[in-house]
Amino acid sequence: MDISDWREKIDAVDAQLVEMLNQRARYCIEIGKIKRERNMEIYSPEREAEVLHNVVRANNGPLDNDAIKRLFERIIDESRRTERLAVETESNRDTA
Amino acid sequence: MVIVMEEGATEEQISRVVDKLMRLGFDIHRSTGVKHTVLGAVGGKIVDTSDLEVLDGVKEVLRISSPYKLASRAFKPEGTQIKIKDVVIGGNQVVMMAGPCTVESREQVEIIAEKVAGCGVRVLRGGAFKPRTSPYSFQGLGEEGLKYLRAAADRQGMLVVSEVMEAAQIPMFIRYVDILQVGARNMQNFNLLKELGRLNKPVLLKRGPAATIEETLLAAEYIMSGGNHEVIICERGIRTFETYTRNTLDISAIPVIKKLSHLPVIADPSHGTGRRDKVPPMARAAVAAGADGLLIEVHHDPDNALCDGAQSLLPEQFKALMDQLKMIAAAISRAMI
Repeated sequence: MDISDWREKIDAVDAQLVEMLNQRARYCIEIGKIKRERNMEIYSPEREAEVLHNVVRANNGPLDNDAIKRLFERIIDESRRTERLAVETESNRDTA
Repeated sequence: MVIVMEEGATEEQISRVVDKLMRLGFDIHRSTGVKHTVLGAVGGKIVDTSDLEVLDGVKEVLRISSPYKLASRAFKPEGTQIKIKDVVIGGNQVVMMAGPCTVESREQVEIIAEKVAGCGVRVLRGGAFKPRTSPYSFQGLGEEGLKYLRAAADRQGMLVVSEVMEAAQIPMFIRYVDILQVGARNMQNFNLLKELGRLNKPVLLKRGPAATIEETLLAAEYIMSGGNHEVIICERGIRTFETYTRNTLDISAIPVIKKLSHLPVIADPSHGTGRRDKVPPMARAAVAAGADGLLIEVHHDPDNALCDGAQSLLPEQFKALMDQLKMIAAAISRAMI
């Protein structure tokens, strides 16, 4: 197998990752809607810690646990933003 | 904005900072390092970084963008041009503003106005209310001085710039002057700045003797946030360890401010140096450095002047300087008026 072959495999995995990240984001949007209905806080540090704990436990390598945490910190950052936008869009729709 | 947490900051401390930032409207990018956690805060409103620095666990807060918005170049990339009648400040022309330090009598200001108008000058300066360091020095003629100034300027077809000392004087000033000047020692008189922000007449804001460029632009921001965007910044010398000249004229401030801000920048080499023979070289330097104008003191009888005679140019010296400045302006493709 040459570099280009491995890159093809990576491209295939990336496509899956994009779909799965978007799936994850859809769930975040639903949570955002519920939080808005119930007037709850978007930011939930305990849940963020729980997510990181879960992914570390599920980690079998070769990425080390810290690397997994760093990657998921990025994902969590974007989820927070996605939830915020979902809440804001809903409130814009309400006031429109 | 970047928030660096202390080494060993707890999750609870970090969460509290994230929570506060989110309430201020920021999106957070968290980066947990080996020793320090760094939070990137994007998109919120301008905050006082010291409010965040006091939070438990925060080591330091680094601002990436400027604390001023309206005064920043990004707000108006094409630059600001202030048009008063047929004079444009901040355009291609370098605008000379000359006249006596103080209006001493009707005759005195008429003579000086005629002399400088003869050199093509379009803006007449003159002080009616003087912020003297000593209470025993001549304090100015007051409203009478403004009347003489306006009359002399009208006779020569010139505009008037004069220093306003306090907010209560503003209604009087707008009857006589075209540009209201804020003195260096009033740069952080926030009450005055706020009142000037409500006018639609241009304000000439002098940099304080110990003010950083950022503080100066924040003072401009005060005025602009009140609705008055016609602010001209004036570099007039700063305090340094060198006391040979009265102040140190910070020539480098001219290109720096022109980069950071869209507002016109002028220089006052008279107060900047305090010495008559130093005024022409610094005036030439300021124009060469890109100043949009100059504020220069001229007196026909400086030995008997009631204020700052030592830094006032004689009319002949002023004319010679104007001739030189025209050449220097042309060298950088501008015109001196």
